[in-house]
Amino acid sequence: MWVKLALKLFSREFQRGELSIIFAAIALAVLTVFSLSSVTERIGLNIEQKTSDFIAADRRLSSNHAISPEILEHGKALGLQTAKMIYFDSMLFANDELVLGSVKAVSNTYPLRGEVTLKDSLDGQPYEIRGAPEVGQLWLSEGLFYSLGLKVGDSVELGAGNFIVGKVLVSEPDAPFFSLAGNRRVLLNYEDIAATGAVQPGSRVFHRLLFAGEEQLLSEFYTWLKPQMKANQTWQGVKDRQSPLGDNLMRAERFLLLAGLFGIMLAAVAMAVSAKRYCERQYDPVAMMKTLGGSRSVIRNIFLLHLSLVTGFSILVGLLIGFVLQHIGADYLAKFMDAELPAAGFRPWLISIFIGIVCALMFSLKPLLDLFDIPPLRVLRRNLGDQLTLSRLHVGLSLVTIFLLMWMFSAQLVTTLILFGSTLLVIAVLFALSRLIFSAGRKLGLSPGSSWSLAIATLQKRANANAIQLISFALAIKLMLFLVVLKNDMISDWQMQVPEDAPNMFLINIAQDEVQPLTSFFEQHNITHEDFYPVFNARVDSINGEELERRVSQQEGEQEQKDENERRGVNREPNLTWLSQLPQGNEITEGEWFSNNTVDGRIEVSVFEGWKEQLDLELGDTVGFLVNEQRFEAVVTSFRSVDWGSLKPNFVMILSPNMAGQIPVTYFSAAKLEDKHTKAISSMLQQYPTISMIDIKSRLEQAQSIIAQVSLAIGFVLAIVLISGALVLVSQVQASLAERMQEVVILRTLGAKGKLIKLATLYEFLLLGAIAGLVAAIVSDIALLIIQQQLFDVAGKMHPYIWLLGPLSGAGFVSVIGYFMVAKTMRQNTQGLLRKIA
Amino acid sequence: MSVFSQLNIINVSGLTKRVNTFEGELTILSDINFAVKSGESVAIVGASGSGKSTLLSLLAGLDVATQGEIILDSEPLGEMDEEQRAQLRAEKVGFVFQSFMLVQSLTALENVMLPAELAGDKNAKQQAIDLLEKVGLSHRLEHYPSQLSGGEQQRVAIARAFIGTPKILFADEPSANLDSKNGHMIEKLLFDLNKQNGTTLVLVTHDEQLAHQCDRIIHIEGGKLETIREGEAANVG
Repeated sequence: MWVKLALKLFSREFQRGELSIIFAAIALAVLTVFSLSSVTERIGLNIEQKTSDFIAADRRLSSNHAISPEILEHGKALGLQTAKMIYFDSMLFANDELVLGSVKAVSNTYPLRGEVTLKDSLDGQPYEIRGAPEVGQLWLSEGLFYSLGLKVGDSVELGAGNFIVGKVLVSEPDAPFFSLAGNRRVLLNYEDIAATGAVQPGSRVFHRLLFAGEEQLLSEFYTWLKPQMKANQTWQGVKDRQSPLGDNLMRAERFLLLAGLFGIMLAAVAMAVSAKRYCERQYDPVAMMKTLGGSRSVIRNIFLLHLSLVTGFSILVGLLIGFVLQHIGADYLAKFMDAELPAAGFRPWLISIFIGIVCALMFSLKPLLDLFDIPPLRVLRRNLGDQLTLSRLHVGLSLVTIFLLMWMFSAQLVTTLILFGSTLLVIAVLFALSRLIFSAGRKLGLSPGSSWSLAIATLQKRANANAIQLISFALAIKLMLFLVVLKNDMISDWQMQVPEDAPNMFLINIAQDEVQPLTSFFEQHNITHEDFYPVFNARVDSINGEELERRVSQQEGEQEQKDENERRGVNREPNLTWLSQLPQGNEITEGEWFSNNTVDGRIEVSVFEGWKEQLDLELGDTVGFLVNEQRFEAVVTSFRSVDWGSLKPNFVMILSPNMAGQIPVTYFSAAKLEDKHTKAISSMLQQYPTISMIDIKSRLEQAQSIIAQVSLAIGFVLAIVLISGALVLVSQVQASLAERMQEVVILRTLGAKGKLIKLATLYEFLLLGAIAGLVAAIVSDIALLIIQQQLFDVAGKMHPYIWLLGPLSGAGFVSVIGYFMVAKTMRQNTQGLLRKIA
Repeated sequence: MSVFSQLNIINVSGLTKRVNTFEGELTILSDINFAVKSGESVAIVGASGSGKSTLLSLLAGLDVATQGEIILDSEPLGEMDEEQRAQLRAEKVGFVFQSFMLVQSLTALENVMLPAELAGDKNAKQQAIDLLEKVGLSHRLEHYPSQLSGGEQQRVAIARAFIGTPKILFADEPSANLDSKNGHMIEKLLFDLNKQNGTTLVLVTHDEQLAHQCDRIIHIEGGKLETIREGEAANVG
């Protein structure tokens, strides 16, 4: 019997719109979580796939020693795709010219991710393929064709072997971002390594194994691999540091995650507000039913059924709208990104249904318990039960639930703590503010009978109601401001890394006497270019007078192993330069940048901080370099952080400017070339055949397209969060409509003109929004400072503009939404309103 | 149980109600004793704050006494828990309130059916239609409370009070929120239905004229029973 009654009550409450707030709140939570998690998952998968191109695989194992074949076999056995690679330098000989080539020998499965771009002839059209050169063939980069005077089909010697030039190599997915050997790339089939005779014991060779496959298989493989990895082996994925765009990708992912958290938080606020309001509106009917003999169990069943119905229905609608939204969003993104977005898995469905149910249960539990406890005596004493409304338990339960949901969704305790903490701060500040009004009211209220007493009593009553509104407005504004600022910061940070006018061509190997004619050439063709940097190769051969190789070979046992590990990289011959200014994207972490007056004319060196540990260096150490037969020493005066994600040339070691003239060098420059310059450039290259050109246009475009995608994804997510925020405001204003209606009736009855009431409402919302916005701005800025430093690894900074943006947008946003919702009420006549509130 | 108490449908003895306030314990009702016979109409009168509404709430089992005993149709309220008192109300008690207390989301007909439905009565609809006809609202069955005038809402409330033919009807200032014309109409309806159904009526009012229409008038002052006198109805009846 109660089921029939419950269903009848439910359908009536639904039609009357009493359940619409709670319904919208759950649907909002579900649709936000669903669309965010599925769109981010789909975009994330796509971005991961795209960026996997950068290493031509999902993961790679690198070493400067041969890697046991067992590792590759195990990967294959697990079902992973695999490929083998070896890098080495070797001489190429053709038409009486001898050039050192940078060779990469690859197995036929290369590349596992991304494509190789080739041309059939120097003036042919580029096309993309997957695969390695046929056995007996080489693919050479354009520069080598000019240097060796070759054309496709010619024969060329590489080491001891003789090969046919098969194709022009335009780009490889995993080419280094910046390499001085960029224009002398040679791609060779793995089977042909032996024929070159270049790989002998002791020769400088780098080995790589590539792996691709499902994430779960990859991590299973890594679990197997990890314990047996040697010190000289490194395991890398796209997201690892120092991999190009890895940092940016990580930041984007964290942003999307953060946005998801905000979505949940906003929906939770809407839910908590609306559940409480709904239950409060049921106090009278419940008291009445109890008076008329309704038992507690019947009443409990009725309202639990209501909750289940509204939860089930709203989850369904939330999922439906979320599905359509993410479909439209993903379609649009796919078009924009010119890529198929991979379908999202079950996770978004499960997580959003779960969150919908948890929200419904946790946020309505306490209000419902309160509702069941409403005494029947309320029918005679109308305010009985009202004191239950400000329940600490409800607030506590809601907060714990929000925290757990955020933690569960993000799986990141620190992020959750920062966000949650800053939110509590907003609440605390606003609560203190309303208390202040309260206590001020009490002090003034001591003079009984004054007209102030009435005014202050009203103020006190409103202070409590307004504080709750203020808190939720501020919360919504805070979260929105937070995301807007973070988005702007992040995107402008990226754009700075890859600016529109970034050079897309590196020119290397420029002789001293070629600098002047080249400068004239650039000027003549109106080509913007960077300065000419001096560049030379040197071998780091001693530290504090101790020769590294000898030191290593003289020692034995564990110590030897340790030293070798510690000073890994001593064999490397870094590219060196000298500079008077600290390059962009570099920051001194220890010591000081070169001053104009060096001590006794000594040479100083600034070292990349990553090498500090590898070479076991300290400030004041003397590093010995060997250039051909010439030896020189430099004192370490600073360590630098280097932004490897930037597309600028970066140097591990930079010498002080007094190095100039002491060593023969070549020069390096970069220029922004457009299509119209192609002809002039190729004639220039023919004129100066020793100059090599590295085209990073495609790499740059790839990087810019990823940044554009991520920015768009962030914009999409931000839009969803903004809508959620607006809905929180709507639910909050809607929750206060009954009280407002009563006020309108009283004011109207007392003869207040419509315009007066409307203006008063508008001002009230303007003020509420401005205060909420100001508090939100202050707290967001503090939270942003922490978040940017802790989570995004960027220097945190204050954002003075949001101190203005907060109150302005708050006032605008709240007053527009609030006013339009209340305006509807004001259009009704007083009699109609009277009946509604009766 | 004595023969005397069996004749009385309500028996109140030594009834005291105290509440805790910020200023200490406050006695609202003190040592009230009276009885109401079955079918009798009794008015409880007194000034505002005299304790008459508290007495009504105790009699109806909406609240519990601090001391003393109330026996409602042979059932001692003091020994019952809230669920049992609700069950008792469902079976034997009807209510009419000053502020009507209709459920806003239900139509006039559904509001009248509500007590019967809560009690699991499957024949509620026809009973409700008949009652609404008796109060002159057969043309308003599908109207919601907000679509009815104050007088009409109170007539719905009266129809609701009589569904399930309760033995006792409690009315709290039933005409106080209405104009005099509607007020009189409601009062007449209440007494007529009371007589037709043989219901016991306990009425709280500060309206002396209304009180005099009852068989007896219980006068409460400062939480104490001042006088019990006979009303006009007793002389007529």
